[in-house]
Amino acid sequence: MASRSVVITGVIVGQLVGQLPAARFGLAPAHVRRAAWARGLRRSFERLGPAFIKLGQLISVRPDEFSAELVAEMQRMQDAVPPLPAEAIRAVIRSEFAAEPEDLFETFDNKPLAAASIAQVHRATLASPYRPVWGEVLPAGAEVVVKVVRPGAAESILGDVAIVRRLAERMAGTRLARRFDPVGLVDEFSSTVDRELDLRQEGRFADRFAFDFRDDARVQAPRIVWTRSTGKVLTMEFITGWRLSDLEIAREAGVDCKGLAIHGATAFMRQVFVYGRYHADLHPANIFVTPDNTIAYLDFGIVGYLTPEERMNITQVMAALIYRDPDRALRYSEKLGVHVPPEHVEPVRRGLGALLDGDVRPDGTRDFAHFGLGFLKLLGEHGVAIPSGYGLLIKSLATVEGVARALYPEIDIVETAQPFTTRILARAMGDPVRLRERMPAAVRAALRELVV
Amino acid sequence: MTDDVMRFFATWLFTHEAADEEIKAAIRRGMSGGPEGMSGGPDAFVDGLAAMVEEEKEKLKADLAARARGEEVASEESADPALDEIRFEVAELRGRLDTMESLLETILRKVGG
Ligand SMILES: Nc1ncnc2c1ncn2[C@@H]1O[C@H](COP(=O)(O)OP(=O)(O)O)[C@@H](O)[C@H]1O
Repeated sequence: MASRSVVITGVIVGQLVGQLPAARFGLAPAHVRRAAWARGLRRSFERLGPAFIKLGQLISVRPDEFSAELVAEMQRMQDAVPPLPAEAIRAVIRSEFAAEPEDLFETFDNKPLAAASIAQVHRATLASPYRPVWGEVLPAGAEVVVKVVRPGAAESILGDVAIVRRLAERMAGTRLARRFDPVGLVDEFSSTVDRELDLRQEGRFADRFAFDFRDDARVQAPRIVWTRSTGKVLTMEFITGWRLSDLEIAREAGVDCKGLAIHGATAFMRQVFVYGRYHADLHPANIFVTPDNTIAYLDFGIVGYLTPEERMNITQVMAALIYRDPDRALRYSEKLGVHVPPEHVEPVRRGLGALLDGDVRPDGTRDFAHFGLGFLKLLGEHGVAIPSGYGLLIKSLATVEGVARALYPEIDIVETAQPFTTRILARAMGDPVRLRERMPAAVRAALRELVV
Repeated sequence: MTDDVMRFFATWLFTHEAADEEIKAAIRRGMSGGPEGMSGGPDAFVDGLAAMVEEEKEKLKADLAARARGEEVASEESADPALDEIRFEVAELRGRLDTMESLLETILRKVGG
């Protein structure tokens, strides 16, 4: 592995040196310098392959820990790689099933549908009907996609993770580490990667998602074909539709984009507030709108989990956002692990108040991304460590907002959270002991008492 | 659970329908929403909540009337979430068995061929 760490250092140093002219050999203004370094790092990460691409994706969701320039650059990172020849993918299938793709499927398309750093996707059709965990039977001949982990991806990623971990341990003693916890970040990173390397996890989450949304005909997830799945191969229903990036075509085909935006954002709120499990890897390529006006979620690689207690506290923070109440937001953020040192409470409270007042767009709708990301940044400036789940959720909400706005620019996503926060707060009031104590008062007064 | 709470409030409201003028005013305000809907602060929030309870109460009234006429009530609560959960877990187990069965076939092919 020593040679690999030399390669890693070489690529990074090479790219950073390549940025020296852009940084005017250190003489350019700070933000120009930072932008140049960020660009160099992003290019190195793309060159260094899957583990680094994943690391970059993780950095892109932590505006609290990294500079704005680095976050922006990492968001731009491309996870599209040249496809592997079909034979390499067929070899994986052969070794997983001891059979040719044509023996497992009625047809198998050697031309890849998509290629990313960890997996490559091919189309196929089922040879016999399959009854999925949830939903209708997939008939023989049904179109499916076969997602296959690229050969060697697991080994190379795990090797790189070990190297990055050693680097992080060395960084732990330095000044940089005061702003963030490098070892913690790498641990979080390696657990994300582990999960993505076993495709069965993704499949199980897709099933769970289909079940959670069983009463909602407008939200779907691909059905998984478990007889044709292993840790490295995941076979699922092919979803016909348009990516959010191809919205114009969808619109022309008569898709109700406004309705879908509202419904999609509501569905996300339901994942967060009702189930405590949410799709945390939303981006326009992972969401399809379909000709029959449904939203399909693809790629459940990164999933966020919330305990009931966390959900309750998040509800309160959301309610605080609705009321524009900074004290309440801070009180419940504290319970979520956001510890503001006493001497910083006042400035943070003031900054938060300003954010809450300033989060309105010209059209009068609220701007969650501005608020959420601004809040993370504010906490970072005051040296407050942010629990990773908190950052992930805020980033996901901001993404949902962005995605929904692509469909329907006037949407107010805080509004879509409201029915959920209201109901959850109502549930908290339903504690029988409290009810019996307070019900003799008028309902309005009682509700009032219990909400606050 | 949530629905139980809402039902509870609705029942209470139903039995106190005539009682509280202040509640009725809150419901009216909540229904009309006001310029900021439920976001106008704790008062507006409570008004909005009162309006939601009111809706639930109307549903409850309709259900009771239907029951009195001897009709089947298709209420949302009739599907038992716990039972659904078990059905899902069994289905999930079936999925895992499918994978194991296919793994077994793979092993047989490997030792056979
Ligand atoms: N079930 C599906 N139906 C249709 N297209 C799919 C399906 N699954 C994946 N794709 C296509 O393949 C691309 C990559 O799949 P994805 O699961 O996101 O892989 P990765 O996790 O490697 O990015 C998607 O953006 C989509 O275009």
